[in-house]
Amino acid sequence: MNPPLVLPNDDGILISFPKGLLGFPQLTSFRLYEPHDGYPLKFLQSVEDPEVSFTCINPAVIKPDYNVPLSEEEAQALSLESPEDALILTLVVVPEDPRQMTTNLAGPLVLNGKTRVGYQIVFSSEKFPLRFPILPQD
Amino acid sequence: MLVITRKLEQSIVIGGEVEVIVLGVTKDGVRLGIRAPRSVQVHRREVFDAIAAENRAATETKVPLQDAAALLRAAHAPKAKDR
Repeated sequence: MNPPLVLPNDDGILISFPKGLLGFPQLTSFRLYEPHDGYPLKFLQSVEDPEVSFTCINPAVIKPDYNVPLSEEEAQALSLESPEDALILTLVVVPEDPRQMTTNLAGPLVLNGKTRVGYQIVFSSEKFPLRFPILPQD
Repeated sequence: MLVITRKLEQSIVIGGEVEVIVLGVTKDGVRLGIRAPRSVQVHRREVFDAIAAENRAATETKVPLQDAAALLRAAHAPKAKDR
């Protein structure tokens, strides 16, 4: 694994995931970084275990019509007062051939931009592919 | 693990608000009905496992992030509205 480049004075944005991410329930505190020259990719690094860092993206950049249908209960859990406060990130898998990179539209991270609390939402519909290619395929 | 035998149309109740009902039993599988508040997420185990596997894969970026990002900027630059 290549350690992501972190700007020395960049503390990132502290975000709490009270339930962790699937497969990582014990990690609940993260910093979101946008590394130098990394746009549009970001990474979410665990505070508890800095070895764990998820590559992610704002899916609007690569799929402008992607919408996360939040239930009222989910919006309440996030204390969302208005939809504009919600920030969506999807996790990005970069394989050895980076042209094959994909993002997971089935398990988006939804954050409240004001409280900086987030949850991973789970969709099991074919409309939300687990491995959505984010570069044009030849 | 708690193990309970149930017959057709019998159910179990979990936490007072989730009910799992046996709707049918065939040689290929058991058909279950689930009544739960909308706040309780109900998915097949495989869905959670698949997302957990993708989560893990997203921590194992194989090339420098900057290289992957450059490919993305080249492909999506005109549409970028992120900042």
